Amino acid sequence: MTQRKTILAIGLAITGFFVAAALLALVWTPYDVAAVEIAGRLSPPSAAHWLGTDQYGRDMVSLLFAGATTSLGVSLLSVGAALFIGVPLGLYAAAKGGLIDGLIMRFGDLVFAFPSLMLAIILSALTGPGASNAIIAIAIFNIPVFARLTRGEARRVWTYDYIAAAQIAGKAAPRISFEHILPNIAGPLLVQATIQFALALIAEAGLSYVGLGVQSPQPSWGRMLAESQTLIGTAPQLAILPGAAILLAVFGLTLLGDGLGETLRGARGA
Amino acid sequence: MTALLRLVVVLLLSLAAVVAVSAQAQGNLRVALQLEPPNLDPTSGAAVAIDEVVYATIFEGLVRADTDGSIRPLLAESWTVSSDGLVHDFKLRGGVRFHDGRPLTEDDVIFSLLRISAKTSSNAQAQAFSRIAAVTSPAPGRVRIRLKAPDANFLTLLTLGDAVIVPRHAAKTLATDPIGTGPFRFADWRRGSDITLVRNPNYWGKPARLARLTFRFIADPSAAYAAVKAGDIDLFPDYPAPETFGQLRSDPRLKLTVGPTEGEVILSMNQRQGPLANLAVRRAIAHALDRRAIIDGAMFGYGVPIGSHFPPQSPDYIDLTGRYPHDVEAGRRLLAEAGYADGFTLRLKLPPQSYARRTGEIIAAQLAKLKIKVRIQNLEWPGWLDEVFARHDYDLTIVNHAEPFDYDIYGRTGYYFGYDSPAYRALLARLQTARDPATRHGLLAEIQRTLADDAVNGFLFQFPRLGVQDARLQDVWINTPNQAIDFATVSFGGAAGGDDASSDKSIASGGWGIPALLLLLIGVAAALWRFGLPYVASRLGSFAMTLVAATVVIFALIQVVPGDPAAYMMGLGATPQAIAALHAELGLTGSVPERYLAWVGGMLHGDFGISYVYRVPVAGLLADRFALSLPLAGLATALSILVGVSAGYWAALRRGSAVDVVISWLARLGIALPSFWLAMLLVLLFAVGLGWVEAGGFPGWSAGTGPALRALALPMVALALPQAAILARVTRASLLETLDEDYVRTARAKGLGRARAAFRHALPNALGPVLTVLGLQFPFLLAGGAIIENIFFLPGLGRLVIQAIAQRDLIVVQSVVVVLVAVTVLVSLLIDMLAAAIDPRLREGERR
Repeated sequence: MTQRKTILAIGLAITGFFVAAALLALVWTPYDVAAVEIAGRLSPPSAAHWLGTDQYGRDMVSLLFAGATTSLGVSLLSVGAALFIGVPLGLYAAAKGGLIDGLIMRFGDLVFAFPSLMLAIILSALTGPGASNAIIAIAIFNIPVFARLTRGEARRVWTYDYIAAAQIAGKAAPRISFEHILPNIAGPLLVQATIQFALALIAEAGLSYVGLGVQSPQPSWGRMLAESQTLIGTAPQLAILPGAAILLAVFGLTLLGDGLGETLRGARGA
Repeated sequence: MTALLRLVVVLLLSLAAVVAVSAQAQGNLRVALQLEPPNLDPTSGAAVAIDEVVYATIFEGLVRADTDGSIRPLLAESWTVSSDGLVHDFKLRGGVRFHDGRPLTEDDVIFSLLRISAKTSSNAQAQAFSRIAAVTSPAPGRVRIRLKAPDANFLTLLTLGDAVIVPRHAAKTLATDPIGTGPFRFADWRRGSDITLVRNPNYWGKPARLARLTFRFIADPSAAYAAVKAGDIDLFPDYPAPETFGQLRSDPRLKLTVGPTEGEVILSMNQRQGPLANLAVRRAIAHALDRRAIIDGAMFGYGVPIGSHFPPQSPDYIDLTGRYPHDVEAGRRLLAEAGYADGFTLRLKLPPQSYARRTGEIIAAQLAKLKIKVRIQNLEWPGWLDEVFARHDYDLTIVNHAEPFDYDIYGRTGYYFGYDSPAYRALLARLQTARDPATRHGLLAEIQRTLADDAVNGFLFQFPRLGVQDARLQDVWINTPNQAIDFATVSFGGAAGGDDASSDKSIASGGWGIPALLLLLIGVAAALWRFGLPYVASRLGSFAMTLVAATVVIFALIQVVPGDPAAYMMGLGATPQAIAALHAELGLTGSVPERYLAWVGGMLHGDFGISYVYRVPVAGLLADRFALSLPLAGLATALSILVGVSAGYWAALRRGSAVDVVISWLARLGIALPSFWLAMLLVLLFAVGLGWVEAGGFPGWSAGTGPALRALALPMVALALPQAAILARVTRASLLETLDEDYVRTARAKGLGRARAAFRHALPNALGPVLTVLGLQFPFLLAGGAIIENIFFLPGLGRLVIQAIAQRDLIVVQSVVVVLVAVTVLVSLLIDMLAAAIDPRLREGERR
C-alpha cells in the first residue's frame, strides 16, 4: 500500500529531523543558548537570527534546537526507563501467573487511577523541579502500559508449540521469556513505545509549561511557550514556534507509530 | 453525512447562543489582585492580600494615612499626644456602627488593641505593637494608649491594616465572616475565584459610590493580560505582566499607571561562608551587575535602579547607584586580587515570581563574564521559605523586599543573608532613639552608605507598581504603606452606583452528594440484576482495595513533602511559638498512624478535614470545585464524542476515500496538538481578538446557565479537541474491524444498506474500545484540566490542588487526590460493566 509507505516515510523524515536537531544541539548550536543580550532582544527574523531572538536576546533557532534535545531526551529516558521496568514485569507476570500476576496488574490499576499531572506536581514538591523529576513522573505512568502490553502479548506466545518444546527441553521460564518470548513480541512493543514516546513528549511539554520540567538555562519548548505567552502581541513567533515544534514532533512520532504498526500488521499477514 | 452536518450546525448554533455579550452594571467594580487572601482577618497573619481586600473597605482603624503620608482622623475624631510621647488620647467618633448593627464602643477599641499587642498575638506587626503598655478608657467615648517607650512612628503604625478596630463580639469569626465599620460589607467568597463586597448603606461617613466590589485573583501574567484585554477587569492595581504594558498602552479603553512601591529587589548573598564572605568578591559582583539591562530585560524598562536598600521616593533617599559602576574589568580585577581569577560556582535559588525568574536568567549571564558559574534552581514559595529563608541553604537569591522601613533586617542576627556588622547595629540603635529630623536624616543616609560600602547584597531596582484601569474610573489612589486602595471614593465617572446589590450570591454546594449517591445505588442495583452477585462483588472488592492503597500512597507522599504549612501561613516574621500554636490548631500534632486513621476515619463519614489555609471544611471546597470541574469534564467529553465518534464513523464508512484520508490526517494532527497551546490560541482569537467570550473566570452557576456555559465554552473546546482526535482514531479502527466480521457481511448480503448495516450492527459492537478510551478520558479531563483551568483561571479541582500544593495546604491535596482516584476507579468500573452489558463476550472473558 502506498499510503502506508507514505505515512512511514513522512514519520521517519520528521522524527529524523528532530533527532538530528537534538543530537546536533548536544555539541553545537548557532549561538550560545545561555548568552543574554538585552540590547538585541525581541528582534524579528534576520540573516543573523533566522527566527529572531527571544525576550533575553537569545537566538530562537538555537533555543528550538536545544529544546529538541530536552524534549526528545526526557521522553527517550522516561520511555526507556518504563520499558526497562515494565517489560520484565510483564514477562514475569505472564510466566508466573497467579498471585504475582494479579499483584502486578493491580499495581497498574493503582497507578492509572492517580491523576498524573497532580502526582507529578507532588513529586516535584518533594525533590524540586528538574529533568530527573519529569523523567520519573512520566516513566511511572508508562510502566503499567508496557507491563500490560507485554503480559498480554507474552501470554499469547506462551501458548505456541515451540514454547512447549522449549519447556520440554528443560529451559527455565526466565530464559524462555527472554530468548523466545521477547523477540516475538518486540514488534508490538516497538509500536507502543513510539506512541508512548509521542505522549511523553506532550507530557514533558506540559510539565515544562507549568515550570516542572528542566530548569534554566537548558531550554525546553514548554517553558519557552509559557514564558513568551504574554508577548504574543509584540512577538507572536516566540509563542507560536515552540508550540509548532511540539505539534510537529508529536505528529511525526504519531505517523511513525502508525506506519510501523501497519507495516507490522502487514508483515504478520493477518 | 447529512446527520453529521446537522449535528455540526446545532453545535455551532448553541455555541453562538451562549456567546451573547452581557451588559455590565456600572455600579460594580471588578478588581483583579494577584493573590487570593488566605483569610479575611487583617489583624492576624502577614498576607498583604488580606489588606488589599479588606483594609479601608470592610475595616477601619483609629486613624488613616493621607496621600502625602500625613495622619488623618478616621474612627478617632481627634487625638492628643503627651509631651513625653508616651500617652496618646483619642476621642472616638460617635454613631459608628458595625455591619451587624451593633455600635462601636470603647470596649471594642481596647479589645482590638490589646489583642494585637498580646504576647500570643499572631499579628504580623506584633513586635511593634508590643510597645503598647496599656489601653484604657478614661471617659465615655475616649481611649488612652500608654506606650512603654516613646515611638515617633506610632501613629503611622495605627494606620496599618494590622491595627484596625474589630468587633469584640464577632472577633472569632473574622477570618471567614469579617464584620467591620467600613463603607463596604462582606457578601460572598467563592474560594479560588472571587470575593464580593457590597456597599454599606448605613456607613457613618460619605457612602461609597460603587454598589459592589468584586475581587478576582489572577497571578498568571498571560491570564492577567488576556483578562484585561478582554475587558473582564476594571482595575488591576498591581499588574503582573510588565512585558505587555507597551501593548496595553495603545488601547484607549485603558489607563495605565506606574507608581513606586516600598519594595527593593535585591540579589541576596549568603555571606556566611565561601567566596561570598569575602567583601572583594561581593564588590566584584556589584560591578558585574548591569542594572539597566536587568530593568530592561526583566521588567521591560519599569523600575528605578537602586544602590542600597532604600526606596527612591523617600525624602531620606540618597542615590548610591554610582557606588559600583557597571564595569566587568573592575570586577575581574577585584576577583583576581581575592584569588578567584578562575571563578567558582554559585547556586542561585529563585522564588516563583516572574520578576525573580527573569532577573535570575540575566544575572546568571552577567556573572558568567566574571567566570562565576551560576546554577539556577527554581523553587516554589514554600520551598524558598524553607530552603533559603529558614535554612540558609543557598548562595544567591533574588527577592523583592516589599516591607516599608525594612533596613532593620540588616541588623538582625541570623537573618537569611547572614550580614553581621556591629557598626551597622550601632547605627540602628542610634536611629531608634533619635527624634530630631536632621539627625535622623543623617543617620538614614549613613545606613544606606554602610550597606552599599559593605556590598551586602546586589541592590538592583525598586519594584514598580504597574496599574491598569478602565479609562472611565475616577479617584483611584493607592495607600502606599498599606498597599491598599481607598475604594470609598472610586467611581465610574458620572454614572454612579446602580442598584443596591443586596442579593448575595451563594453557590448551592453539597447538593451534589444526594443525586450522586442515588445514581450509584441505582447503578449497583442494575449491575447486580444484570451480572449477578459474584461479578459485582469481585469488582467492588478490587475497587475498595485500590482506594485503600491510594489513601496509603498519597498520605505517605504528603508526609515527606518538605515545607511546613504553618510556616507558609505565618510569613517572614513568624516566631517559633506562633508556629507551634498554629500546628496544634491545624491538627498537625500526633503520630503519623494516628493522623492517617483520623483522616481516613473522617472521610468515611464525609469529613475531609479543615483546609489549613482557608479554614473551612475541605468537603465544601470540593463540592464547589466539582460544581465546575464535573460539568466541564462532562461537556468536554460530550463534545469529543460528538466530534470524534462521528468523524471516526464517517471515515470508517468511507474507508480509503478522500474523506477518510483527510479525517485520518486531521486526527493525527489533533493528537499532536498540546491542549494548553490550543487554549492559548483560542483565548487570543475569541476573547482578545473577537471579544466573543471572556478570557477566563467563572461567574458561577448562580449567575445563570447562559453566562456559566459561555465561560466554559473555550476551555471545553481546548480540552475536547485532542481527545476527539483520539476517539476518532479508535472509533474508525474498531468499526473497520467489526465491519469485516461475518454477521455484518451477512446483513449486507441480505440487502441491508451500507450505512444501516454499519449503524445497526457494527457500531454497537465497535463501541467497546471506544468506551474504554472514554473511561480513561473522563477522569483525565476531570483532573488533567489543571493547566487549562490555570489558563482560564477557572476555580476547578485541578487548580485547587496546584494552589494547595503551592501553599502547603496538604490536607486539601490528599483529600482531593483520593476523591479523584475514587472517581477514576468508579468510572472504569462503570465502563467495564457498560461494555459487558453491550457485548456479552466481554463478560464471559471476565469470568473465565
